[in-house]
Amino acid sequence: MKVVECKDLTKVYGRSNALNNLSFSIEENKITGLIGRNGAGKTTLLKIMAGFLHHSSGEIKVFEETPFNNLKVSANSIFIDNEMSFPPALSLKELLITAGSFYPYWDQKLADRLFDYFSFNPNIRHGNLSKGMKSTFNMIVGLAARCPLTIFDEPTSGMDSGVRKDFYRAVLKDYLAHPRSIILSSHLVEEVEDLLEDILLIKEGEKCLHMPVEDLKEYAVGISGKTAIVDEVLSGKDIIFEQSIGTDSTYVVIKKDGSQKELEKAEESGLELTAVSIDNLCLYLTSKTTGGIDHVFS
Amino acid sequence: MYLAEVNAWDIVKKQYQYKLQSYMGVFTSLIVIQIIAILFSFNGTGMSGGGSSTFSYSLNYYSGSMILIFTMIWGLITAIIITSKAYRYDDYSFITNRGTTHTSNLLFLLSASIFAGITVLLCTHFIQVLYIYSVNSESVMFEQLTIIQNLKGISGTILYIFFFTSIGYFIGSLIQISRLFIFVLPVLFFGAVIADGLGKEQSMIPHVIKFFGNESSFGLFILKILAASALMYGFAIIISKKLEVRP
Repeated sequence: MKVVECKDLTKVYGRSNALNNLSFSIEENKITGLIGRNGAGKTTLLKIMAGFLHHSSGEIKVFEETPFNNLKVSANSIFIDNEMSFPPALSLKELLITAGSFYPYWDQKLADRLFDYFSFNPNIRHGNLSKGMKSTFNMIVGLAARCPLTIFDEPTSGMDSGVRKDFYRAVLKDYLAHPRSIILSSHLVEEVEDLLEDILLIKEGEKCLHMPVEDLKEYAVGISGKTAIVDEVLSGKDIIFEQSIGTDSTYVVIKKDGSQKELEKAEESGLELTAVSIDNLCLYLTSKTTGGIDHVFS
Repeated sequence: MYLAEVNAWDIVKKQYQYKLQSYMGVFTSLIVIQIIAILFSFNGTGMSGGGSSTFSYSLNYYSGSMILIFTMIWGLITAIIITSKAYRYDDYSFITNRGTTHTSNLLFLLSASIFAGITVLLCTHFIQVLYIYSVNSESVMFEQLTIIQNLKGISGTILYIFFFTSIGYFIGSLIQISRLFIFVLPVLFFGAVIADGLGKEQSMIPHVIKFFGNESSFGLFILKILAASALMYGFAIIISKKLEVRP
């Protein structure tokens, strides 16, 4: 069964489109990373999935139902971000108990253990926590709720690096013990790529690509060498990224399209082939121009 | 993957419990307001006197109506606050949809009205007791009410407060649609009162008060108040249908 299915999903804010004809589907029990630059529409997409926002046109189905104002979707999904709001009258401990009374698959033991591990004071109020502590607490709620669809929107914002690592580890461990669909948005691809199975890359509200992380590692190749030779070898190729190094060298990223021979030929003619990290590839794919920041200063 | 099937009524019950716990501040403010109202009432709501060359007398009236008015305003404001963003977002941190949110809000406001109605009655008695002990007076007279009359009084009080919460809920929902209503509603209200006052005979406010306040048949009174409250809540639910949850 498909957990999330979008067809030509569009969301209009005023005159600009936050999402533009987005179509994709997410299979169940996968950890998907939603990657994109600032303002690409990640949060908008996730909020539509969680039923917080209306979409303008197209179709979205979560568990085969339209998510907006849907109790079934609400019960089986949880949306975690750092703007989650909890009533100031309840202490952290009471909030966990309340969450437990709502979510049918809630694991109170896990919640308590994580709560103690991150040494929260049970009597403190959510509003008095620091930004990183809020994110950590929200993460505990998100994990312990064990919802079939768990959505983390920039979950690690404000966390220090120790807690971030703990968080990724906790997600992975709990996912292995209790498989479910997890969608995690982030722009720190490097940190999450080991955790993810699939990557959904969006750019300016449109889908850039959606594929398993393993495939993405093989998606492109970096070529560097003398500009003249690079230009010759790569004429007519689909160039993802280009950067000049020094006076007469160039670094180019191109899409691998199976022509292994051509690559070998390039290597023979003195060019250096390198793998492209997923982090960089995502940056290159979503940058608005091919020249990068250098163009501004040239 | 097993999807949990949830029953809307179950969620309403859970939300209601959650609200009773997390909206405790509402009851604290009620107590503060009623204490202030008691202080105001202590001056008496009316006075008359007279005398001749050989004697003089003065009559002071004390009633709980000041407390009721304060409590009704409290109900109005409480309902407006509950529709505000901060409170709505609290719901959406857990399982909910619009329907369950409205229903649990309504149940909460109804319970708050019942609680407030009972405390209004208790405050009224409190004033009487306070008066007997503190004021040196020749004679104090009470209106003696039968149990039936007391029950009627208390349910009437509750209904008035509930009616005001429904008005507040409607106003609050309008404000959630557009902030402009914060300015528009007072202008409309005071504008209408002033425009009404310009005419020869003031008609609007007295008519409304007469319609709801001077109903001699208790059954008809209940019907009027409940119908008006249902109308207000109904409008609130309809206009909030399109509202997005968290931008």
